[in-house]
Amino acid sequence: MTGATALRAALAVETLKLRRSLVARIATALLVLLVPLGSVGMVALARSPQAVGPAAAKLGDYATGELASTHLLVCAQVLSVAALAAVGFFVAWSFGRELESGTAGALFGLAVPRGTVALAKCLVTLAWLVSCVVLVVAVTTAASAVVAAASGEPLPGWAEARDAVGAGLLGGGLALPFAWVATVTRSQLGTVGALIGMVAVTQIVVLLGGGAWFPYAVPSLWAGMGGADAAAAVGLPHLMLAAAMAPLGAAAVVHAWRRLTNV
Amino acid sequence: MPALLLDDVSHTFGGRVALDHLTLTARPSQVTALIGLNGAGKTTALRALAGRLRPTRGAVGVLGHDPADLPAHGAVRFGHVVDAPLVYPELTVTENLRCAARLHGLMRQDAASAADAAVGRTGLDPWRHTRANALSTGNRQRLGIAGATLHHPTALILDEPTSALDPQGVVLVRELVRGLADGGAAVLVSSHHLDEVARTADEIVVLHAGRQVGRLEPGGADLEQRFFAMVLAAESVT
Repeated sequence: MTGATALRAALAVETLKLRRSLVARIATALLVLLVPLGSVGMVALARSPQAVGPAAAKLGDYATGELASTHLLVCAQVLSVAALAAVGFFVAWSFGRELESGTAGALFGLAVPRGTVALAKCLVTLAWLVSCVVLVVAVTTAASAVVAAASGEPLPGWAEARDAVGAGLLGGGLALPFAWVATVTRSQLGTVGALIGMVAVTQIVVLLGGGAWFPYAVPSLWAGMGGADAAAAVGLPHLMLAAAMAPLGAAAVVHAWRRLTNV
Repeated sequence: MPALLLDDVSHTFGGRVALDHLTLTARPSQVTALIGLNGAGKTTALRALAGRLRPTRGAVGVLGHDPADLPAHGAVRFGHVVDAPLVYPELTVTENLRCAARLHGLMRQDAASAADAAVGRTGLDPWRHTRANALSTGNRQRLGIAGATLHHPTALILDEPTSALDPQGVVLVRELVRGLADGGAAVLVSSHHLDEVARTADEIVVLHAGRQVGRLEPGGADLEQRFFAMVLAAESVT
């Protein structure tokens, strides 16, 4: 059995498990429904006369500017965090449950090596991430187009849609190192705890002003969540560093699965 | 050459000795049964053979290879169910078997036919489209054994394969194990069911405190008596 044949077999198995996964189904539904709804809804709220007090202050950035561009700006900001959470929960399940339930032990001594199974899990996760992010941005763009057309405003542009896709992919890709966390901790809940801890640490790092070099802060900052100045401070090296976390995470977890023992 | 080999293997968990200079072999065309009390080291020995545990000392071999790093040409001839089987609760019986077949190295078409044959062989036909999380414990055990044997391995390890089975399932697994051994496979089975062992095994190895304390002939009505006599004798020595 060649490496390519083994990878094809592992991809077929992991794709089927993803399609049957309750975690993936819930995460997909939440992303595809809530992000577009939140993007269009928050802009509508920011521009309505009902927005007063603290809500108006928090949504102030969305009260002005081109309507469709603002929809996609909010989409990018929400997606940069929501994709991290969705993929983080999925990899906690995909990798952690094999070790918790004992099926990881049954993956020893097979014609398809464990490292190949882990690689297939990563590739299937990334394919799912790309599908979700593209779908979310497409639904948001369509909803935005309907609202903008009804208001006589310009339709959404490709550049904003492209940025929203980029923010979602960067955010979701940052979750792959948690596959390694799931392997080391052998716990789904432990992995989710680490994910929540990382979100908290990111907040602290951003508050201390060190965001651009902290990969987990980059997608949100780049999408403008920290304001225009913080977004402008995010350059190509920062984006490359954040983007590198996915392949680094995948390499780490494949290595860990190759060396797995006492299972 | 033995198909399955533990050569002077020792292993400890923390300070507790699980395997103590254990040497064990399983030869082609034979069913070797491993019996012992709880904690005797049966599952630890099988985990080492499956490559899931690197023992503190000694050598482990499966079809002449280190099981922790089994090459593909060896892996396609090896099967095992130790503790949790390769069964995913969200997949149906057929889907689980097709996945197992693919992971055992079968191509897509062959995997489908091997899965169908395994469903029939293990009496799972009424549940072929049922998700594994809706199966009884016994049927899940049948499914695990079906997945580990659908590629007709020449070296097979089964840990307590009949622990949750009804009498019909016990007979099915007995016939499956005997059939594989008669076809040339080396089968190593751990069990608490001495009656079942007496019916299936060609040789019986008694394990106590991580050591092999003797061998028993499968025949005869007093197997239980001979087993306890052997264990008590080993206990008095230690």
